[in-house]
Amino acid sequence: MVARDAELAVETVENDPVPTRVRASGEWTFAGLKTRRTEILRTLDDLRRIAPSRVAWDLTPIADLDDTGALWLARAMRGVDHLQASVQQREILDRVAQGSRVRIAMEHPIDPYAPVVAIGEAALHFGAHLRDATALLGRVVLEAGALARRPRDTPLRELSASVYRAGVAALPVTMLVGFLVGIVLTYLSALQLKRYGADLLVINIVGVGVVRELGPMLASIIAAGRSGSAMTAQLGVMRVTEEIEALQVMGVSIITRLVLPKVIALAIALPLVTFCTDLAALAGALLASRFTLGIAPLAFLEALPRAVEPVNFWIGIGKSGAFGFVVAFVACHYGLKVLPNTDSLAAGVTRSVVASITCVIILDAIFAILLRNVG
Amino acid sequence: MSADPAEYAIEVEGLVNAVGAGQILHRHLNLKVRRDEVMTLVGGSGAGKSQLLRVILGLKHPVAGSVRVFNVSWHDPSFKKVRDARRRMGMLFQNGALFSALTVFDNVAFPLRERGGISEKKIRAIVHAKLAEVELAPHDGTLLPANLSGGMVKRVALARALALAPDLLILDEPTGGLDPDRSERFVQLIKRLRADHRFAVLMVTHDRDTLHALTDRVAVLSERHIIACGTQEEVGELPHPFVQNFFGGERGRRALAQGEAAA
Repeated sequence: MVARDAELAVETVENDPVPTRVRASGEWTFAGLKTRRTEILRTLDDLRRIAPSRVAWDLTPIADLDDTGALWLARAMRGVDHLQASVQQREILDRVAQGSRVRIAMEHPIDPYAPVVAIGEAALHFGAHLRDATALLGRVVLEAGALARRPRDTPLRELSASVYRAGVAALPVTMLVGFLVGIVLTYLSALQLKRYGADLLVINIVGVGVVRELGPMLASIIAAGRSGSAMTAQLGVMRVTEEIEALQVMGVSIITRLVLPKVIALAIALPLVTFCTDLAALAGALLASRFTLGIAPLAFLEALPRAVEPVNFWIGIGKSGAFGFVVAFVACHYGLKVLPNTDSLAAGVTRSVVASITCVIILDAIFAILLRNVG
Repeated sequence: MSADPAEYAIEVEGLVNAVGAGQILHRHLNLKVRRDEVMTLVGGSGAGKSQLLRVILGLKHPVAGSVRVFNVSWHDPSFKKVRDARRRMGMLFQNGALFSALTVFDNVAFPLRERGGISEKKIRAIVHAKLAEVELAPHDGTLLPANLSGGMVKRVALARALALAPDLLILDEPTGGLDPDRSERFVQLIKRLRADHRFAVLMVTHDRDTLHALTDRVAVLSERHIIACGTQEEVGELPHPFVQNFFGGERGRRALAQGEAAA
């Protein structure tokens, strides 16, 4: 038998309740459909747009029908009223139609309320975090008060270990970053200031910027990435290995033993790190201004105290103490919320770093508003 | 420490416990563990045995009901009473829960240092004695938990649980993850330690050999409460499908026969 390509004939009868007559013939198979693919698809597409009650389908002349042909036909014939076809053809069409319905049902319809639901869920989630963080803050304050009454129980070893880890060990990287930022900032400012001949103002800009804003910010962002993530991971792993439960069973307060030392340590260490970062950034600025503007190092050092009021320095140091507290607190909050599985641990560390940096920036904005008339 | 035989080590009364959003796990659950007995808690997977242990340990707040350990509720306003009750209790976690940053010695010494008032010299003596009790040599004390085998982790955890000479030991799957030979040795170890120190034991186990070798009384947790509590023979006669399968099944009978032959 010679294979005959699939054909689709459409004729229109005027003044008839069913004006469109479709007659399919030939081999409606994968092979038979190849030649007139585009033409047939276009015709079927057109037919889809006509109301099903106004189309009559005659499939009896079809020589052979496979799933490909049936799928094309079934799509065009959805909800058809007038159909002439053999029992076998109907069976194939039914089967294919069911199969395609399943596929269609799997496409997610666009829910117009989805954004509202998402916002609502995010708000609830945020609220839950805020509630838990407030509870943790309360416990930290209470236990800190209890510790103040019996200072002998202060976990000094943990405290000094945390100061070392978050402070001393963080110095090289923080100072390097500070030094480079000092150079870049000075270089860029110098380019602009040179045009107006206000070369010496670079000391004011970089001095105040570094001491009041950049030093604390750099130190706390690096602390969030370095120490904050480590704190969250440590508490999270202790949660996974049930070490936290073991401590609780022994009657050891995890706030006093694990949270307080970290929070206090970072609140102590970060101002010191900030101080060193300030020094490194100013050294970078000194170097850059020597080479871009030709300001002698001695002149730079002489002008610095006049350009930067000491209050700016103290604001920067004070702020970094608060930042240190926030970074460690957020890290502990997320660490204690880790569930005993690895996914939760990874997600907890990520969220901890993002949240603590965000909190630091928000806090910095609040400080900027509160202290706008100072310095 | 006081050793009033009439005192219960653990008393759970009318406990209602839920997990997640209101899914009730235990309802009107009562359980009493006497001062001088080994009580084993059995139940099907997902019956809430571990959750019940968490409540008894005070790691989880129940919705209602009371939990008292040595007559002290975890909600007792007296910090000292709760602390003392905690010190009379040792816990062996299923996976040991050793402090991974501390050596074996420091792990066992931890509860002693936490207690305070014990000289470092005395701590050293106690830790070495405890390590010897669980058949570990003093030089094992320098190892970190990561370098220990599964059986050693359990033994170190047991030594830590026993460091303060507790009156109550809680064991979560004490022989889980050990090969039969090692489980047998671990069971014998607990038996011997109990003969020396007379502490009460509450144990969760799936291992019938462990159960038959150690247990005085069995509590069966099913359908959200303790459906039966008594000696193995008493509980074994209960016509409940879980109980029948656990005690009357082939493995249960074999373990029982072995236990009797050994006795």
